[in-house]
Amino acid sequence: MKEKKREGVLDILKKVLFVDILKGLSVTLKYNVSRSVTVRYPDEEKWIPYQRFRGAHTLNRDEEGRELCVACELCVKACPTGCITVVPQEDDTGRGIADRVPKIWKVDLVRCLFCGYCEDACPTTAVRLGRDYELACFNRTDAVRDRERLLRPQEVPEGFEGGMVVSARFERTKEGIRVKPDIWKPRDKDWWKKV
Amino acid sequence: MTTGLVTLKINGREVTVREGTLILDAAKEAGFDIPTFCYQANLSGLGSCRMCLVEIEGQRKLQPSCITPVMPDMNVFTETDTVKMTRSAMLEFLLSNHPLDCPVCDKGGECELQDLVYKHGPRKGRFAEDKVRHHDKDYILSPVIVKNANRCVQCMRCVRVCKEVVGRGVLGAVGRGVHQEETSFLRTRLDCDHCGMCIEVCPVGSFMRLPYRYRARPWDLVSARSVCGYCATGCRLTLERRGDTVVRAIANPEDGFNRKLLCARGRFGYDVMNSEERIKTPLVKERDGSFRPVSWDRALELMKEAILRAGPERAAGVASATLTNEELYLFQKFMRKVVGTANMDSTSRWSAESSLKFMEAAGIRGGGTSVYQCAESDVVVVLGGQLSEENPVTDYILRYINGARRNTLVIASPRGMKLDSSAQLSVRTVPATTGAFIAALLKALVEKKEVSMEGMEAVKGLTVEELSGVCGVNADDIRWIAARLLTAGSVGVLAGTDMLRYDDGAEELALLVRLLENTVRDVRVLPLLDRANQRGAWDMGVHPYLEPGYRPAQRRGHDVHGIVELADSGGLGFLYLLGEDVLGLYPDRAGVERALSRVGFLVVQDSFMTGSAPMANLVLPMAMYGEKHGTMTNQEGRVQRMEAVRRPEGEVRTPLETIGRAGNLIEKDFPVVRPGDVWKEIQKQVPGYGEVRGMEAFKGASADQVAELKPSFSYAVPERAEGEFWLLTGNHLFHGARLSQHSGILRELLGGCVVEIGSTAAQRLGVGEGDMVEVEARGYRERLPVRIREGTPDGVAFMPENFDGKDANRFFDKDRVVSTVRIRPYKKQGE
Ligand code: SF4
Ligand code: SF4
Ligand code: SF4
Ligand code: SF4
Ligand code: SF4
Ligand code: FES
Repeated sequence: MKEKKREGVLDILKKVLFVDILKGLSVTLKYNVSRSVTVRYPDEEKWIPYQRFRGAHTLNRDEEGRELCVACELCVKACPTGCITVVPQEDDTGRGIADRVPKIWKVDLVRCLFCGYCEDACPTTAVRLGRDYELACFNRTDAVRDRERLLRPQEVPEGFEGGMVVSARFERTKEGIRVKPDIWKPRDKDWWKKV
Repeated sequence: MTTGLVTLKINGREVTVREGTLILDAAKEAGFDIPTFCYQANLSGLGSCRMCLVEIEGQRKLQPSCITPVMPDMNVFTETDTVKMTRSAMLEFLLSNHPLDCPVCDKGGECELQDLVYKHGPRKGRFAEDKVRHHDKDYILSPVIVKNANRCVQCMRCVRVCKEVVGRGVLGAVGRGVHQEETSFLRTRLDCDHCGMCIEVCPVGSFMRLPYRYRARPWDLVSARSVCGYCATGCRLTLERRGDTVVRAIANPEDGFNRKLLCARGRFGYDVMNSEERIKTPLVKERDGSFRPVSWDRALELMKEAILRAGPERAAGVASATLTNEELYLFQKFMRKVVGTANMDSTSRWSAESSLKFMEAAGIRGGGTSVYQCAESDVVVVLGGQLSEENPVTDYILRYINGARRNTLVIASPRGMKLDSSAQLSVRTVPATTGAFIAALLKALVEKKEVSMEGMEAVKGLTVEELSGVCGVNADDIRWIAARLLTAGSVGVLAGTDMLRYDDGAEELALLVRLLENTVRDVRVLPLLDRANQRGAWDMGVHPYLEPGYRPAQRRGHDVHGIVELADSGGLGFLYLLGEDVLGLYPDRAGVERALSRVGFLVVQDSFMTGSAPMANLVLPMAMYGEKHGTMTNQEGRVQRMEAVRRPEGEVRTPLETIGRAGNLIEKDFPVVRPGDVWKEIQKQVPGYGEVRGMEAFKGASADQVAELKPSFSYAVPERAEGEFWLLTGNHLFHGARLSQHSGILRELLGGCVVEIGSTAAQRLGVGEGDMVEVEARGYRERLPVRIREGTPDGVAFMPENFDGKDANRFFDKDRVVSTVRIRPYKKQGE
């Protein structure tokens, strides 16, 4: 009986002195003075994922610029959704590392589930899942990426470690809207730590 | 030969097998799989790869099971630790020099080395030394073969198959040890049969198909079991497509009587299906002679009008003997029931009488005869034809069986052939004198042994010398053959199409068979036919005198000669050429050209614009093998089912659909049918087909006798002026029927039409292989390169019958038994 009475008094006191409100406000106010964690995407900044990230595919070349893909079709076989098409052809002009090169290499990103089995299967590390994650498009057929597009180096090279926010530029191009990062201008290297 | 049984134990399980069985086969029977590389059924044993080693109780060393025959009470172990370790070590050894470029290799996914390493191999290699490389780039050995020696596992299967089965022996092993390379002499381009057997048997990606190079992976392919359409050997093959393009034809060793065997036509002729030259829509001829595409409805309406306008007496049809049984059955039913005529044939080349005689003599209307049984006879006689080019796989089967069993092989033919080298005796007959040859043989037989048999009296009055003078064969040779025949326990006779073409020898053959049946007992006759379903066409009653199942027709019609004559006299209002190019094949081109131009309404249904097609009023597209279901009956009487690998493109239709719809348009109760329905009707209506079940079975016999065979025993050498050549025709090794000229691969192999003469004739003319000569007869001249055939006598020339624009039938005179031509060297002007 006695205890109950004491709690009631404390409650009234808290209310009179706005204790809970001040507690809440203190969090808000702390953020007001601390550094911002918001990424100003897509206008100024962009998050570059870590190396282990699995985004859109890229096809690689060796140091001499020859295509690494030998059109073995193992990625096609490994893919659980059947979204890769590879048709080989013979070409001994030095276009590829072997005289077997892809005539067609395309992937349908609408079907892809980014499991990475294709890159696991590839004997020459020709196909890699890159760090391009802006895949929105107006037309489904635009989601099919062909060899030429895939051979163009992605903005984030494979060697770049990632896991940071870098400055970026918002662009409208023929292929759609793009946010072009400048990986040499990191904005925030320890973004996760702040969250 | 006595074949006792042997009982032994394999992994503790008791098995009983025939004496002489290899441990490998016995183990398979007991259900144990032993890995192999160099072993291949139907090749000589080698025992070099040591993959198949097994442990035998009481023997210190492991033994190769692929060359060790079983012994009574043997105790064999195939799965002990030592065996497993040895297998793994052998594979590690092979891999130590293997480039392991599986991602690039066309064999990847169906490679025996991959499979065995996966199953039995080490998971890690220990060799760090550099691998031997024979060359950096794959090299091309022929228009169909590309070679990578680095991947070779030295099993010698290629070398052995080329020598022992194909009979060319153009491959050999160069170098020793790790430097050994199986290839052609100095790696030069091969001038061989291009059969691709070396590719088929190679367990790894060392011999590879050039046309299939980097086209697909085995798991991309959709396949269907089909039957080769290029000759009546009727090899089973599997067609495989990627997307809509057929990319290869393979012989599945587990499927079909031919096992792994195919010739160049079967293995590389599949690309006709992909040809751009195919007829794609129905075409109707305009007044100005050009063709305009029309719809099927309109085309069939035109056909109906023409049939009704012509009436039964003035209508006729010729169907190709390469169609399926279902199509041929429906064709004759349509002609007989709807059009109301028996004017029909399944060939453009010989008369109905000659085919009746051949059917009777060669046992066509009887049940089937297996080529293996025939080839395994103590004495095998090949008559009347050029087996090696007409029926290449029959040639392979004869060769390897003869090599293994050493039975007596005798050849009597007008032209030299590859099989000559396997024959104990090979004689050259004058063209169209097979009858005289057999008569001489009969006489020689009765000289040696008294036989009293009906029909033999007349033989007694003959002399071997006189008859051998006609057929051009030495009398001693004939007596030698007769002696062999009399001591044989079994005889196989293979009778070729010369007997049909020249209406020659069927009566004598029947007599010979009866005589041998009385003395030897076990006699088999195998007809050698050049059209894939000739036997089926006869079975189905596509014949003016015969209804399905060899029942004599109520009312006889005209055969192809009669049809052409009728047309020539202006008496033909409607002619339906279903897949048959009469203009290109009938042995009198000028005559048939005139006749066809006088036909009221000519309908040609074909896959390509054949020689006859431009003369047609209506051209209909036609689906070909690989695009239709159905059954085919090969020369042995083996009924084989085939499946479509893809649908016909666009407006292309099967003959079954065309005939069904056309028939239905004219008579309401003529059904539009599917192959299965027709097959059921065939089983009911055609004697011998009722019991046929499954994918492959021999047909049964039918009771009716089709011809009385009474030899006249009067013979003459076909006329030929001094210096002239008898002109023979037929299939070429790379061209069967007329279809194959549209195969890009086969066209590349052959390069074009040739004229073939013997080496003595070439010497007389002063020409060498490939030199140009001018062939001339009946006012036509043709310039052609020469091909020299060892063993063909002077005075005999050959031109393939398959080339549009170089048609051999221009030189033929159908009133002469064998036409002759003059051949002279062609010199360019100024030389
Ligand atoms: S990531 Fe997975 S689903 Fe996507 S293409 Fe590769 S294998 Fe296929
Ligand atoms: S990307 Fe790699 S796995 Fe795919 S076809 Fe090319 S080499 Fe083969
Ligand atoms: S293609 Fe046939 S004939 Fe030519 S090398 Fe190979 S096996 Fe011998
Ligand atoms: S090329 Fe092929 S078939 Fe010939 S020896 Fe080598 S592995 Fe055997
Ligand atoms: S052409 Fe004749 S021998 Fe050659 S594969 Fe075809 S059926 Fe067999
Ligand atoms: S398979 Fe027996 S040694 Fe090669």
